[in-house]
Amino acid sequence: MVTLEELKDNCRQILKEGKVKYIIGYKRKNGQYMTVPAFLDRIEEVDHLVWDPSCIYNLVRYLRDEKMRKEKEKEPDTRPVGVIVKGCDSRAVNILIQENYITRDDVYIIGVSCEKSGIVDEKKLTKKFAGKDIRKLDFAGNGKIQVTCGTKNSVVPAEEILADRCIECTIPTPIVFDVLFGEKTDREVPDPFKTIKELESFDTTRKWEFWKEEMDKCIRCYACRSVCPMCYCDECVADSISLAVKPDTTAEEKAHKIRWVEKSPVISENFNYHLIRAMHLAGRCVDCGECDRVCPVDIPLRYLNRKMEKESLDHFGYTAGMEPEKPTLVSCFREDDPEEFIL
Amino acid sequence: MKMEEKFEPKIVAFLCKWCSSAGSDLAGVSRLKYPPNVVPITVMCSGSVSPNYIFSAFKKGADGVLVSGCHPGDCHYMKGNYYARRRITLVKELLDFIGIEPQRFHMSWVSAAEGAKFTEIISDFVKELEPLGPQNKLRSNL
Amino acid sequence: MKKRIGYFICHCGINIAGTVDVKRVSEDLASYPGIIHSEDYVYMCSDPGQSRMIEAIKEKKLDKVVIACCSPTLHETTFRNAARTAGINSFQCEIANVREQCSWVHKDKVKATEKAIKISKSVIERARFNESLEPISIPVTRRALVIGGGISGIQSALDLANSGYEVVLVERSPSIGGHMIQLSETFPTLDCSQCIMTPKMVEVSKHPKIKLLTYSEVQDISGYVGNFKVKILKKPTFVDPDKCTLCDECTTVCPVAVPNEFDLGLTRRRAIYIPFPQAIPATYTLDINHCPGLVPIACGKCADVCEPKAIDYDMKPEILEEEVGSIIVSTGFDLYGKDEMAEYGYGTYEDVLDGLQFERLCSASGPTMGKILRPSDHKEPKEVVFIQCVGSRDPEQHCAYCSKICCMYTAKHAMLYKHHVHDGQAYVFYIDIRSGGKGYEEFVQRAVEEDGVVYLRGKVSKIFEENGKIRVWGVDTLSGKDIEIKADMVVLAMAIRPSKGADELAKKLKIAMDKDGFLSEAHPKLRPVESVTSGMFLAGAAQAPKDIPEAVAQASGAAVKAVNILSQEKLYHAPTVAAVNSTLCTGCGMCVDVCPYEAVSLAEGKANVNEVLCEGCGTCMATCLRAAASVKNVTPQQVHNMIIASLEG
Repeated sequence: MVTLEELKDNCRQILKEGKVKYIIGYKRKNGQYMTVPAFLDRIEEVDHLVWDPSCIYNLVRYLRDEKMRKEKEKEPDTRPVGVIVKGCDSRAVNILIQENYITRDDVYIIGVSCEKSGIVDEKKLTKKFAGKDIRKLDFAGNGKIQVTCGTKNSVVPAEEILADRCIECTIPTPIVFDVLFGEKTDREVPDPFKTIKELESFDTTRKWEFWKEEMDKCIRCYACRSVCPMCYCDECVADSISLAVKPDTTAEEKAHKIRWVEKSPVISENFNYHLIRAMHLAGRCVDCGECDRVCPVDIPLRYLNRKMEKESLDHFGYTAGMEPEKPTLVSCFREDDPEEFIL
Repeated sequence: MKMEEKFEPKIVAFLCKWCSSAGSDLAGVSRLKYPPNVVPITVMCSGSVSPNYIFSAFKKGADGVLVSGCHPGDCHYMKGNYYARRRITLVKELLDFIGIEPQRFHMSWVSAAEGAKFTEIISDFVKELEPLGPQNKLRSNL
Repeated sequence: MKKRIGYFICHCGINIAGTVDVKRVSEDLASYPGIIHSEDYVYMCSDPGQSRMIEAIKEKKLDKVVIACCSPTLHETTFRNAARTAGINSFQCEIANVREQCSWVHKDKVKATEKAIKISKSVIERARFNESLEPISIPVTRRALVIGGGISGIQSALDLANSGYEVVLVERSPSIGGHMIQLSETFPTLDCSQCIMTPKMVEVSKHPKIKLLTYSEVQDISGYVGNFKVKILKKPTFVDPDKCTLCDECTTVCPVAVPNEFDLGLTRRRAIYIPFPQAIPATYTLDINHCPGLVPIACGKCADVCEPKAIDYDMKPEILEEEVGSIIVSTGFDLYGKDEMAEYGYGTYEDVLDGLQFERLCSASGPTMGKILRPSDHKEPKEVVFIQCVGSRDPEQHCAYCSKICCMYTAKHAMLYKHHVHDGQAYVFYIDIRSGGKGYEEFVQRAVEEDGVVYLRGKVSKIFEENGKIRVWGVDTLSGKDIEIKADMVVLAMAIRPSKGADELAKKLKIAMDKDGFLSEAHPKLRPVESVTSGMFLAGAAQAPKDIPEAVAQASGAAVKAVNILSQEKLYHAPTVAAVNSTLCTGCGMCVDVCPYEAVSLAEGKANVNEVLCEGCGTCMATCLRAAASVKNVTPQQVHNMIIASLEG
C-alpha cells in the first residue's frame, strides 16, 4: 500500500533539495471528496497532497503546458518537474519520451502503484451511494475501497465502483519512475478486452446503430483532445489548417486548402474526427480513460482506442508506452506481420 | 413507370506507382476487361497512403476503397508496403468495428505482372458492393 | 494569380477514341475550374500533337497542362520535355492515363467516357498544386573506396583504377589476398590459386591509381552518394615497409610463437611476422597483442637484429580521412568456427579439419609442403571422410541457407586427396549435390568416376576418436544401411557466414543486412550489386556465399556501378522529395524511423530531409501524425483534392 505520509515526505524532500521545479499532484477542493490537479512549488503545500481512489486525472497532460511555458522563457529553469503517475500515466510519460516530446531528465517521476485497486468511476460511486453524503475515499488494500459517508465508513470491493478501464487494467504499477510508492504488482484480469469483444460480436448493422447513436451526440467540444496527454500537437490535423499560408498563397489555394474534417458537428464529420483520432492514438493510447471521462455527452470514446489497443497487441504484439527506446507501433514492422485480410 | 437505375458502386483505388499501377497498365495492355466503377489514384507507394485518404474517400461518397501495393519483399522502396500493411490493418479493423461493411474496404498486393489479378480484384469488388447499395454511413451529410 | 490550365485528350487513333467519347470529354473539361484551353487530337505524342500543345501554352499563356493519353510510363517524358520547350517547368505537365486504365479495359462507351472525365479531373487537381521543380544536382568526388582486399575487392579496385579513377583499398589484415590466397587449387580447372592470385595482388600494389591501406579499418563514414567522408584507422605495424629488406632476421630472434592465422593454426608464427611469402605489401608486421613489449627493456630483440633499422617501436595509430564518391563493400566470409559447431569433434580432435585447413594441407606452400599428412602424427591418411553441409541447410540448429561452394570444393578436396594419396580412399557424406556452373557437374562426375570418390547420401550422426582413428557413424539413405568408417582424417565443409565484424561495418555504412548477416542487395533480381544505400555497392561473399568466378563477376559489376557515379561531373536527383513543415513538426522522429533511406534526421527538435537521399516514397507523409511531412507534387492536399474530383467528377 502507498503510505501517503511517505509520499508527502518524499515530495517535501525533493522540493527542499530543489531537485524539482514543482510537483504535479492531487489535492482536494474545498471539502469535496473528488480530487483536482495540484501544482505544488512550496513545501508547505505538500500538506494538501492527496493519494486516494479519486485521483482520476492523468497529470501527464500538464507536462505539455510546462513544455510550452519553458519554450517561451528566455532563461528557463531546466530542473525537472515532479509528477505523480499511476501505471497508465507512467506509460504516457514513456510515450512522450519515445516521441522526443520530453526527455527523461525533464521529469522526476513519482510512481504510485494502484496495486489491486484503481480509481473510482464517480458515476458508479454516486449511484451505489445514492443520497449519501460521501466525504472521503481511501484504499483499503486487498482490492477494496473504503468510502466514508458522513461519519460512517463502509468498505466495498473495488470492482463495484472502479472505472471500467481500471477493472480492465493489467499494468497497475508504473513502468518508469524515479521513486515508487506501493507494491509492484501484476493484475490478473480474466479478459482485459471483454467489452471490446462483445462489441465486435455485434453484426454490422448493430455495430453501426451503436456508433451512429454515439457519434450523433458529439458536440465537437474537443474536450477529449484537450484532456489527452498524447494530443500535444500545436495544430490538430482535424482543424484543417495544415496548408501553410504564405504571402503568395492565392485565394484559390486557400479555397482548396485541405479539409479532412469540417467543423460542423454533423455525423459524418464527427465520425471522421473520431476515426482520425483513433488512428492517431493507435499504439499511443495508454487507456487512462480521460477522454471517456470528460466527454460531456457520454460517448464511450475509450472503446475506439481500446479496440486499436487490442489489435496492436493481437496483430503486432505491441503495447503502448512499454519501451520508449523502440520505434512506435506504426513506425516499425515485422516481415511476418499478419496479412490474412490482404487480397 | 421508370425502371430503377442499376446501382453503380464508386470505387477509389490508391495504387502504388511501381507495382499496382503498372499491374493495372498491364491489364490494359492485355485488353482484359473489368467494370468501369473504379477511379485509380496513383501514389508513389502504398506506404504513403494515409488513413485520412481512406476516411476522406468514404466521406466524399466512395462506396468502396482499395489500397494496393507491391507484394511483401518487392516494394520499390523496400519497406513502404510493410508499414502500409500495419497501418491498413488498423484502418480495416477500425472500420469494421464501427459497423462499416468489411466488403467496402480492401487492400491487395498486385505486382506489375498481375494484370489479371487486378482485373479480378476490381470485378469481385464491384460484385461485392452491388448488393450493399450506396455507402451512406460515412458520406458527408453537410 | 489564377491558374491557367490546358487540357489535351489524345484519341490514340481508335485506342482511346474507340471507347471514350473524346469530344465529350474535351467539351466537359472546358468548363472545369481553371481550364483555359481544352482540345482533343488524334495523336498527341506525334510532332504535330506536341506542337499544338506548345502553341497553346504560348498563345494562351498556360502555366500548367494535363495530357489525357496513355500510361505516364510511356510518354510522360515526351510531354514534359515539350512543356519545357514551351517555356513552362516540366513538372507543370501531368499525364492522365485514360488508355491502359480506361479505354482498353472497358467496353461501355458512356461509362468509359464518364470514367475518363473523372480521371482527367483528378489529375487536373493534382496539377493545380504542382510546384515547379528542378532536378537536385550533387557534385561528385571522383574516387572510390573499396573495403576488403580479397579477390572481390582486388577485382573491383583494379577495374576502377583501370577505368581511370583513384581507388582507396582498405584491408584490415596485414596483407591483401583474402581467402583465395589460402587456397591450393581451384575448381573446376584445378589451377593453382596462388599462381592466378599473386599477379593481381602485385598489380594492385604497383597501380598508380590505387592507394592501398592494409592493417586498416573503416572507423566512421558520413555523407551521401557522390560525397562520402571516410575515417580510416591505420594500425601501426611497427615496421617501415620502405626500409624492410625482408631478410627475416627478426623472426629468428622473436621469442614468441602463436598460431598462424594464414595456416589456420596448423603452423605457428612469431609475434613479428610476414603473413605469407607473397604478402602484399611485402613487409613484416609486429603483432602488438603478442609482442612481449614495445620497449627494449621488455624484449627489443627484433629491433636489435634489424640491420636496416626498419623496426620502429614508436609508430602510432593514424586516422586518415578520405573523400570518395562511391563505396564498394567486399568484406568476404568466414567459416563456421568451433564455437558455432561443437558437433563432429571440430576443435577437439586434431585430425578433424575444416575446408580451409585442408586447403593449406594440399597447398605446395602449406605447412606440409603439399603433402597430405595428419596434423596429429604426420602420417599419411589412408581413409578420409568429407562431410558436406556442416551447419548449412540446417534451419533448426544452424544456418538455413546453402553455402553454395561446398559441394564443389569437397569434390575438389576428395580429388586432390586422391591425387596425393593414390592408395587412399575418400568418402563424401552429402545431402545432395549442387553442381550448377560451367564445367561443374563434369567435375563432380570426374571425382566419382576417375578418382573413385565414394559418395554417401546421408548425414553423419556421430564422430569420435578411438585408437588413433576417427570413427564416423552415419547412414547411407540410398541403401538404408548404417555406415561406420574408421577414418584417419575428417574434413568438414563448414557453413559460410559473413566475415567477423561485417555487421558493425554495415551499421556504420547504414547498409542493410539480411537475417543471416549477409549484406542486402537493393533488389534480388534487378539490382544485385547495389546496396540499399545509394552509392554503395556489394561484391563477393559479403552479400551471399559465392565461388571465385561469381565473386569476380559481381566485383566487376560493382565497379561499373561505381563508375556510373564517378563518371558524372554531377549527379541529378528527382526533386519530388519529401519536405517537412517545421511549424507543424513536433520532432517525434517517427519519420526518421520509417524512412527506408535514412534520409530524415532530427536537428534541433525538427525533422530534416536530406533531399539527396530521399527517394520520395512518402512513407513519412502517411506516418506523420501532424501532417508535417509531405512529398512535393503528391502532397496530402493534392491527393485530397484528387479524391474529391474522382468521386464528384
